[in-house]
Parts: sequence; C-alpha cells; structure tokens
Amino acid sequence: MVRLLVEPFRDAYMQRALIEVLLLSGLAGIVSVYVLLRRLAFVGDALTHTIFPGVAIAFVAGQSLFLGALVAGLLSAVLLTWASRIPTVDQDAALGVLVGAFFSLGVVIVSTRQSYTADLTALLFGRILTVDTAEIIQTAVITAAVLVVLALLHKELVLRAFDPVAAEAMGYRVMALDLVVNGLVALVVVAGVRAVGTVLVIALLVVPGAIARLVTDRIGGLLVVSVGAAALCGYVGLAASYEASLNHRVRVGSGATIVVALTVAFLGAATVTTLVRRRRPAPTTPQADPVPA
Amino acid sequence: MTILQQLDSPLIRRALLEAVLVGALCGAVGVHVLLRRLPFFTLALSHAAFPGVVLASLLGVSVYLGGALASLGLVLAVAAIGSSRRLEASTATGVALAGAFAVGVLLQSAQSGGSRDLAAFLVGDVLTVSPRDLATTAAFGLIVVGGLALFHKDLVFAAFDPVGAKAAGYRTAGLEVLVLALVALTVVTSIRAVGTILAVALLVTPALTARQWTDEIGRMMALSALFGALAGVGGIAASAQWSVAGGSAIALTATGLLVITVAFQQARRALLPGGRQPSGVTAGRCG
Amino acid sequence: MSVRYGRDLALEDVSLSVARGGAVALIGPNGAGKSTLLKAILGLLPLAQGGVKVLGRRPEDAREQVAYVQQADTLDPEFPVSVLQVVLMGRYRAVGWARRPGAADRREAMRALTEVGLADRAKDRFGTLSGGQRQRVLLARAIAQHAQLLLLDEPFNGLDATTTDVLIEVLARLRGDGVGVVMSTHDLAVAHLTCGDACVLNRRRVAYGPIDQAITPGNLAEAYGSRAVLLASEATIVTTAD
Repeated sequence: MVRLLVEPFRDAYMQRALIEVLLLSGLAGIVSVYVLLRRLAFVGDALTHTIFPGVAIAFVAGQSLFLGALVAGLLSAVLLTWASRIPTVDQDAALGVLVGAFFSLGVVIVSTRQSYTADLTALLFGRILTVDTAEIIQTAVITAAVLVVLALLHKELVLRAFDPVAAEAMGYRVMALDLVVNGLVALVVVAGVRAVGTVLVIALLVVPGAIARLVTDRIGGLLVVSVGAAALCGYVGLAASYEASLNHRVRVGSGATIVVALTVAFLGAATVTTLVRRRRPAPTTPQADPVPA
Repeated sequence: MTILQQLDSPLIRRALLEAVLVGALCGAVGVHVLLRRLPFFTLALSHAAFPGVVLASLLGVSVYLGGALASLGLVLAVAAIGSSRRLEASTATGVALAGAFAVGVLLQSAQSGGSRDLAAFLVGDVLTVSPRDLATTAAFGLIVVGGLALFHKDLVFAAFDPVGAKAAGYRTAGLEVLVLALVALTVVTSIRAVGTILAVALLVTPALTARQWTDEIGRMMALSALFGALAGVGGIAASAQWSVAGGSAIALTATGLLVITVAFQQARRALLPGGRQPSGVTAGRCG
Repeated sequence: MSVRYGRDLALEDVSLSVARGGAVALIGPNGAGKSTLLKAILGLLPLAQGGVKVLGRRPEDAREQVAYVQQADTLDPEFPVSVLQVVLMGRYRAVGWARRPGAADRREAMRALTEVGLADRAKDRFGTLSGGQRQRVLLARAIAQHAQLLLLDEPFNGLDATTTDVLIEVLARLRGDGVGVVMSTHDLAVAHLTCGDACVLNRRRVAYGPIDQAITPGNLAEAYGSRAVLLASEATIVTTAD
C-alpha cells in the first residue's frame, strides 16, 4: 500500500504534478468552504464554461491560454454580479444565460479552426502530467493572493453569507463582497483548469466543502477538513492514475481519478456520519418554543 | 449564400424546422425552469447525460435511452444527497454532477477515441439533422407540451405557493418530479440540435427574455416559445450565411434578443421615472 | 436625535420623527410599507421626494449608529455559526476591516447575551435554538452594536411569553439609555407597552402622534379597511384574507 502511494513520485515530472495538485487542492479546499456557505456551486460550474471563449480567443491569437481564461473568468464574475442586481433577473437565470452566451461564443471562435479536437480534450480534462515549474509558480502566486484576500475579509464574508440583510444594514456593500467572492471562484477555476480540466474542476470546488459540512458544524473545522479532504484525494487520485496507466494498462486521466477519489470520499463520509448520527441523535433540530404569548 | 437562397436545400429546411421546434419547445418549458429555479439542475442534467451517452454507446443501446437513464440517476442522486439537511440543493447538485462526470470520464477511458463524438454531444450538430431526428423531436415535443398543458394550472399554483398547494391537497412532490422529468426529456430532445450545454441556453434565455415583458405565466410561455423559435430561425440563418456552428448561432441569437430587451427596458425605466417596477413573479413577504 | 421622512409611490408623503429615548410603533396591514419605511431609514432605498436624517446625518453615514433587527425566520438554521458568533457580528463595524474581534468585543457580546437570557447557549449552533430564542439572539446582536437608533421589523410576531417579556424589558432599558426605537408591529397591546408614539399607515400616513391618540378604532379602520377585526378590545389586530 505504501509502495503504491510513494512509488509513482520518483520521477521529477510526477513530483511536479504532485506539487501542483497539492497547491490546487489547498486552494480549492479553502474556497470550497465559501462556495458552500454562499451556495455558489452553480457559479463555479458556470465559470468552467464561461472561460471557454477566453481560451478560444487566446488559442486563435497564439497568446497564453491562461491569460485568456483569466480575462474571461473575471469578466464573467463581473457580469454575473452586476446582472444579479437587476430585479427581474435572479442569479440562477443570469448564470444560465452567461453559460449559453459565452460557451457558444467560444465554439464559434474555435470552429474557425479545423483541428481543435485534441486541444479540446486537453481543455476539458486537463493535462497535469505536463505541468512545468512556471505553471507551478503561477498557481502558487494565485493561491497566495486568494488566501490573503480571504484572510482579510473572512468575517465580513461569513456575515454576508449568513445574513445579507444585516450586512447591508450595517453599511457593508454586499455587491462588492459578492464581486470579490465570484472573482476568487473564477481565479480557482482558471488555476484548476490546467490540472483537471474544466469539466472536473467543479468537483474540486464543491465536494471538499460538502464533505467537511457532513463532518463538522463549525467554520474553522470546515476549512481544515475541506483542505485535508481535497489534498488527500488529490494525492491518492494522482497515484492511482499512475498506477492504473503503468501497471494495469488502463488509460485514465488523473483529473478523472482525482474526482473519483473525491466522490468515494464523499460517499464514505456520508455513510459514516449517517451511521454515527443514528447511534447518537444529537439535538440538531430546533427546539419548539414554549406556549406562545 | 444567404438563407433564402439556401432554402432549396432539404438539409437546410430540416435544420430550420428542427431549430424552430426545439426553440419553441425549450422556450415553453423554460418558463418552468425559471419559476422553479432549475437552471443549475438543467445544466447538471445535460452534464449527467454524458455518462449515459457513453454507457449507451458502450452497450450499444439507444443514445436517448442512455441519456434518459443517466438523467434519472442524477435526479435520484441529488434527492439522496440533498435529503441531508446539511447540504442544500445547489451543493447536492454540484456533488452529484461531479460524481456523474467521474463515472462518464472513467467509462470513456475504457473506450479509446470519441473526442469527435464528444464535441458533437456538447455543442450539437443541427445542420446534419435527418428526417428521423425531426420526427423524434416532434414526438417528444408533443409529449412535453401535452404534459405541460394538462397540468398547467396545477404546476403554476405549486410553483408559486408550495405550502398552499400542499394544504390544498396537491401532491407537490409528484408535480416536482413531473417538471423535472419534462425538463430532462426536453434536454435529451435538444441534444441533437444544440448539444447539452447550449440546451441550457435555450431553456433559460428565451424564458428570461419573456419575463422582462410580462408577469403572467401563460403569456410568458407563449412569448418564450416565440423567442425560442425566433432564435432558431436567426441562428440557422446566421449559420448558413457565415458558416458558423449552428447550435451556437442559435444560442447567441437568443442572447441577443435578451440583451436588446433588457437594454430597452432599462432605457424605458431611466427615461420615465415613477413607472411601476415589475413585481416579482413569485409571491414574496408583504409589509 | 431625529428621523424625518417623506416619499412617494410605495409610501406617499409619510413623515415622522423619533427623539432620543423615544419610540414609534408602525401600525398598518401587510403591504402598507412598514418594511419599506424601515429600509428607507437605513438609506437602502431611493427617495422620490423628501429626505431622511438620522442623528443629523445622511442614513449612509449613520449606519454604525443604527441597528436593524429583522425576523429571525429569514435566516438559514443549518448555517454553521454559533450564537456567540452571531452576536459578535454586531461588533464587526467597530472592529473594522481585516481585524478579528478581541476579548473586549467578546465581553460586550456576552453581556448582551446575558441581558436576553441566553448566555448559557453561547457556544451552540444558532439553528439549534427555538424561534423565539433566535429572535432574542438578533436582539442581543443589536444591543452589542451599541447603536443609538434601533429598528425592529415585526419583532413580536409569534413569540413565546419569555421572549416577549425579555423584548419589552430590553426595549425599556435601551430607551432609558437614550436609544430611539422604531418598531413595526401588529400587536397593539405590546405597542402600548413599549412605545410612546405611533404612526398608523397604509401607503400614506393615516395618523401620527402620541400612541393613545394615534391608535383609535377610526384610524385603524381607515388603515386596515374593512378587513380588520379587533379582538379582545384592542389587544390584537387580525386581518381577514383578501
């Protein structure tokens, strides 16, 4: 067992992949808690689609795909936050429109080139094994920036998540706070696309937070468990994909195995916590009030 | 060559008809997607259809069947995960979606190749629609529209006021399942024309556009179907004119209609202050 | 200290003012604009006409001095936050950006919790409390804020006896300390107990003044229309469905 977990990482390229995965897992794990508290799973998923035209334009123009994705992601975050404030438009609908518009724009741009299917695959499913030092540094910088912002704004973000009315009444600009969080999610999506692809980065943004919520009731605990679960699944997933490809002749992308690991971890946590709770029913239901006045 | 010149081609005629049918169908169903806050679920459905389709091609069964089964699986998964009070609907959907993806991607690795099919699955291929596809679309469309029409007032009541509907004796859970099933059927029907991801666009954008014009559900559905059909026509025309991907052109046309509408309404509001703000469709707190 | 107010549309030409230690009850049917009025005092709504002055300033500048207590049932009971953390939220403005609440803030929060009788539940998750208890926690949050003006939106709706008593005591204590209160309610008995003035409204001001003069059967009939039924000689208003 230990051999399986250590063996894959003898080569430099696998070590780099591991560092990238651990960085991303830490980043996604932390942001996943805010995604949970603010119910932003759809925002995360939508962003994985709306960065597509940015990548497409960058691809066609021969520029850095990362930059293209970044611009498109941040633009989506801005548009989404702005659109959610229109009275007859709610956030879900705005996201649906943005996904449709941006993704189709990307397709139109890409379809002007003939051979794009191979790049499409890499975009959709990631290519962690070819990550180089420059990309690791990029990821590290993004991680540091996101962590700093979250550390500074933590209590205000929690207040806004819990009670936006009170936040507004106290004088906080809810729209600005929302813009910041949407922007951070966009950053994580862009950073994660390379490792696990657009199709699967949503898993990194949603599942670790969900696992943590099953296990604990306190925000500090949520952050710790979420990061831990993400890092562990990243590690195990990477090792498993190596093992499967090399020794079992099954060609499985590491993005896929990481998400499988996350899903298994979630199912495990759900099963264990359900069984434990059935044994010791804790008072999670609100008590009834005494006789009304 | 403009669309008018190309109308001689049966291929284009079929594409046009398919686009109009799918556009109108998605428009009508889309109003319910909006009312019940289902855009994320719809996107998740279209993602979840992916493992179903891969499985279907692996097993050699109909793609529609595979997609339908996977959609059913997703609904069950979301219900199961969301039944824990700690995880609410969108988080549950995200987790179920991740799981569905994992399954699909694993299955896909088991079979080599398939990138080409994946692309068509994602973005559709409306310009190669066959008469049989048209017939399938029409048939499914009739089922969905029939279902909506049959239960119209019940669906609207339950969407507005779930508590009241339950008190009045409606089986709100059953109605919810009905809507989800109709939406799933619509998504599966639309895959051929616009692909999975853009099916969401057609299910949300025309309905949202209609929402800017009226508060009344019946009118909204009719308007939305109209906008959807218009998007279909516009999309095929643009596609024929400029040789761009059909499904995407349809989605972009629908978005364009929305943008024009919103710009118009905002301008109107700015120029005529004191006008009545459009009220929320769902009843909110009073006082 | 005063709040003066007047606007069009959802609310037409309403004006009232609250002095130091004074309390105004907002009485009116659903949809009368009571919540709108409270939001306008917070400076959250554009005014078509007239102005709001809070403590001699614009509402946006006075928000630290204004505490708003909404109905607790709007909050998600599953949210992973403790009772103490909720009360501490009232201190966030005082603590400022990028800093964490300190020991002094915690003491203030515990003091507020003690006043509402929930100090022993400080570490429990907010959602594990009963509805009335949660309302008290929101009140504690407002107390911890040390505001000079307190706005309450239907605070007495469906509360148990303990919570009602606590609420009445706290409001009296705060008024004694010079805090102004504006409170919307359906409960006339409580309004009489807690407030000196009343503003009866239904999109426009029907009556305003000392509570005994403002709340009369005639004014109530005008505000509520024929839908109002007075129970137990002016204790509570019950409206029939439209």
